[in-house]
Amino acid sequence: MSNSTASRAFANLNGNYELKGSAGRQQKAVTVDGVTLNGPLSDNRDGERFLEDAFQIIMNEAVKKGTDVTEKVCDWKEPGKLREMLDLELRETGENHERLLQRCHDVAKYSVKTSHPRFFNQLFAGLDHHSLAGRFLTEALNSSQYTYEVAPVFVLMEEVVLSTLRSLIGWDSGDGIFCPGGSISNLYAMNLARYRAFPEVKQRGLWAVPRLAVFTSKECHYSVGKSASVLGVGLQNVHPVKVDERGVMIPEDLDEQIENAKSQGSVPFLVSATSGTTILGAFDPLDKIADVCGKHKLWFHVDAAWGGSALLSKKHKHLLKGIDRADSVAWNPHKMLMAGLQSSAFLMKDSSGLLKQCHSANATYLFQQDKFYDMSYDTGDKSIQCGRKVDCLKLWLMWKATGTLGLEQRVDRAFAYTRYLVEEMKKRGGFQLVVEPQFVNLCFWYVPPSLRGEEGSEGYQEKLSKVAPTIKERMVKKGSMMVGYQPHQDKVNFFRLVVISPQITRADLDFFLDEIESLGRDL
Amino acid sequence: MSSLICENGGSSKPVKKNAVLVDGVYLNGPIMDSKAGERFVEEAFPIIMEEAIRKATDVNEKVCEWQPPEELKQCLDLDLREGGEAPQQILKRCKDVIKYSVKTGHPRFFNQLYAGMDHYSLVARFITEAINPSVYTFEVSPTFVMIEEVILKKMSECVGWEEGGDGIFSPGGSISNMYAVNLARYKHCPSIKDEGLSGMPRLVMFTSEECHYSIGKAAAFLGIGTKNVYVVPADERGKMIPEELEKQVQRAVKEGAVPFIVCATAGTTVLGAFDPLEKIADICQKHGLWFHVDASWGGGALMSNKHRHLLNGIQRADSVAWNPHKMLMAGLQCCAFLVKDKTGLFEKCHSSQASYLFQQDKFYDVRYDTGDKSIQCSRRADAFKFWLMWKAVGTRGLEDRVNRALALARYLAEEIKKKEGFRLILEPEYANVCFWYIPPSLRNMPDGPEFWKKLHQVAPVIKERMMKKGSMMVGYQPHRDKVNFFRQIIISPQVSREDMDFVLQEIEALGKDL
Repeated sequence: MSNSTASRAFANLNGNYELKGSAGRQQKAVTVDGVTLNGPLSDNRDGERFLEDAFQIIMNEAVKKGTDVTEKVCDWKEPGKLREMLDLELRETGENHERLLQRCHDVAKYSVKTSHPRFFNQLFAGLDHHSLAGRFLTEALNSSQYTYEVAPVFVLMEEVVLSTLRSLIGWDSGDGIFCPGGSISNLYAMNLARYRAFPEVKQRGLWAVPRLAVFTSKECHYSVGKSASVLGVGLQNVHPVKVDERGVMIPEDLDEQIENAKSQGSVPFLVSATSGTTILGAFDPLDKIADVCGKHKLWFHVDAAWGGSALLSKKHKHLLKGIDRADSVAWNPHKMLMAGLQSSAFLMKDSSGLLKQCHSANATYLFQQDKFYDMSYDTGDKSIQCGRKVDCLKLWLMWKATGTLGLEQRVDRAFAYTRYLVEEMKKRGGFQLVVEPQFVNLCFWYVPPSLRGEEGSEGYQEKLSKVAPTIKERMVKKGSMMVGYQPHQDKVNFFRLVVISPQITRADLDFFLDEIESLGRDL
Repeated sequence: MSSLICENGGSSKPVKKNAVLVDGVYLNGPIMDSKAGERFVEEAFPIIMEEAIRKATDVNEKVCEWQPPEELKQCLDLDLREGGEAPQQILKRCKDVIKYSVKTGHPRFFNQLYAGMDHYSLVARFITEAINPSVYTFEVSPTFVMIEEVILKKMSECVGWEEGGDGIFSPGGSISNMYAVNLARYKHCPSIKDEGLSGMPRLVMFTSEECHYSIGKAAAFLGIGTKNVYVVPADERGKMIPEELEKQVQRAVKEGAVPFIVCATAGTTVLGAFDPLEKIADICQKHGLWFHVDASWGGGALMSNKHRHLLNGIQRADSVAWNPHKMLMAGLQCCAFLVKDKTGLFEKCHSSQASYLFQQDKFYDVRYDTGDKSIQCSRRADAFKFWLMWKAVGTRGLEDRVNRALALARYLAEEIKKKEGFRLILEPEYANVCFWYIPPSLRNMPDGPEFWKKLHQVAPVIKERMMKKGSMMVGYQPHRDKVNFFRQIIISPQVSREDMDFVLQEIEALGKDL
């Protein structure tokens, strides 16, 4: 059909193909379609000089100032104003180095310093310099983690890192992969659970099976619901299991929910427990949940994206007792271990190749079967991605530098910060705990003097709900610190303080309490 | 807490005044020496600069330092232990990692659909790593939210959507394709998000036999099933045949199934073919199907006034996957998923309105909290590197690179035709040059099963030899009815005609005795 058109187009191209014997600057300059092909088009030396200049800015503005307690955590600008200040528009022509260095400086200046000792806003914080060097190196090497051919070092390294994480869970064999975030790990878990229960779904889709049912607690991460939607299982087939007042799943209710779902004709296939819930930091009772899963023969997934790092601590790993009975675990070392975004491991107990069978497509252009090395090292077909970033190097390098004991020390210290803050809050007036923390999520209300003693009065909850957003606005505009707040279930807005970085000192903790008081006492 | 002790000096332990001990852990002072950490980064940088950047892009250095897996394990000492190691030892480890890693920025790395090194992008990537942002809210990532918005708008303009659209950067083109299928399904029937596929009529999607394997993976993952991907035949150049698409759609309808999406490809993985988008758009329009274009690889051609005709009709797509980390060298990963819809369909499809992240009573315009569009929660700032690179080289600079890559591909194809022992599989439309090398021993063999069987074994041996020598890397594969052939990919502006000549000489040198 389009063959004749194509060959015409090609004849056209041919017409422009010329060999310049002596006309050009260089000998035998070759021009095709008006493009001279001799020598490179870009100047590496020039690029390297730029990189060296920029490195100084990165060190000063992002690394040093970004972790300096005397600097601001953020330099707040309204969206419209920020867009204007950064001059974001892209144009026909390029800019000179000086201008570009200024842009690097500006981006660093107006970005939130997530490594700052007073950034408590998310479930990640702090800066590990060894990890950072590993990340720079990862970027410079620009490897894609699909085959041993292209990423030999990282294929082997990923396996060692995953195996080390698995051994902390208590598995001496298994499988796994690094994912672009814990949400994707949870997606993997659901797909694998479905594949084990109903392998025909991979080819025939969900029409081949009855209505499926997933079980997770009301306190689970929102990605479990997202997973159900994306996988075609449907959000309404995720059955929320009741929790106690600390946010911990009630195993008896799990059992009841499973029976209910069965009686309604659904087929349960997965229980997703949480170790370290997002808001309250609660740990589900894994042993008891494992019993229920065993009874009903369900896949047992543990979302330990946040709480998994407690496994490094001899003192605190009891929180995850029973995790070795899981079929799969999501664990993000970019959170408490500070490996840098993203470092999210999806770990499996199965070592029969289920992960690969579930996801493989056997692309011949990537996973050729006649390679000259052992192709079991081409691990990319386990993934739902094709190109995949190297996420193991930063964690590996940090672990080599810090050692397992050093990481344990960080985890223990994060728990101790929380303990200290709880005690301090109890001593001070105006701070009210939402729940006694199991983990390092410290949830509390700040009650300004005007509301103290008014508990239970009409409009109290309404007034209290407005306190946190106002304090948050003030702290961001001042740039003194950042901490998150949210309403949750029947509770009005409260702060969730998360302290993990080993760069933090007791003085920062005291500062935090003083600053909340100072920003909110007039409310 | 009984374990909470304040020691006010006087103790025998060498701690500061007012040392606070909780659960046996001292809380005074940091447990990490930031100054020492900074020194480490400053010492690591020159190593990265010299070994992973300068030497890694130096044509006189090796592309790879091959070691079989078991030997490499020995070289690297990968095991993780109780104690930490000294900075000098860690620096040595960095050097080893670099030494044994494949230099994908090397001018003779032609193995994948990405190559080369852009230093501007690399600077932005270092900044991203140092700042460690997660792009879900304006609160946490003000700069990167804004930059992503501008880049997506600019890319939408390149696609030809005059009035902009919607989109997000995703961790890879495979995930972008998955987004497309999920979004098309949501548009077709929004209740699937809540109710799932159970009880729904069977859905069917369409793509060509030359499509990327991620379309099938997406179907499996989303619960649609690989058998419900109806494969449309392609012509001898690898382009989807629109008349065959029409037949497949009618077949599905006749079966009582419900067609909902066509995934066309602009720049196929192996042959670099471009599906006829205008004709496919007509069919999509006629049947009311979502029209997705996987331009992960071919999207780069949109930057070139000379070559963008390859994607004529893309402006009619409902969604586009386009990876600037491929042809435009933005660095892994940089993958845009673009949506024409501006009514918020994308966010509605994926949102779950987590109250802890997307609070509705924030003090700024919460429309800038874009993270709920994503199936991820934390998400890397992948737009920034593309933005800084674009600022540095300008639209024209990007266009020059694309033009040059395609001109080099043209040159290589012509040289292959001239050179004895090389046979072009097909005239390249894009930057994939697919060819056989036929060693002297096979040149006089009659065309028959024996010839093809022997030829099939040639590329793997040459590949093994080039990797062991470290002289270059180029991919090969069997493809449909064709035995193993090389697929040379040309992207980088650091590559020149001399490198093209080298490729042919080297393949000949490595394979002439076969």
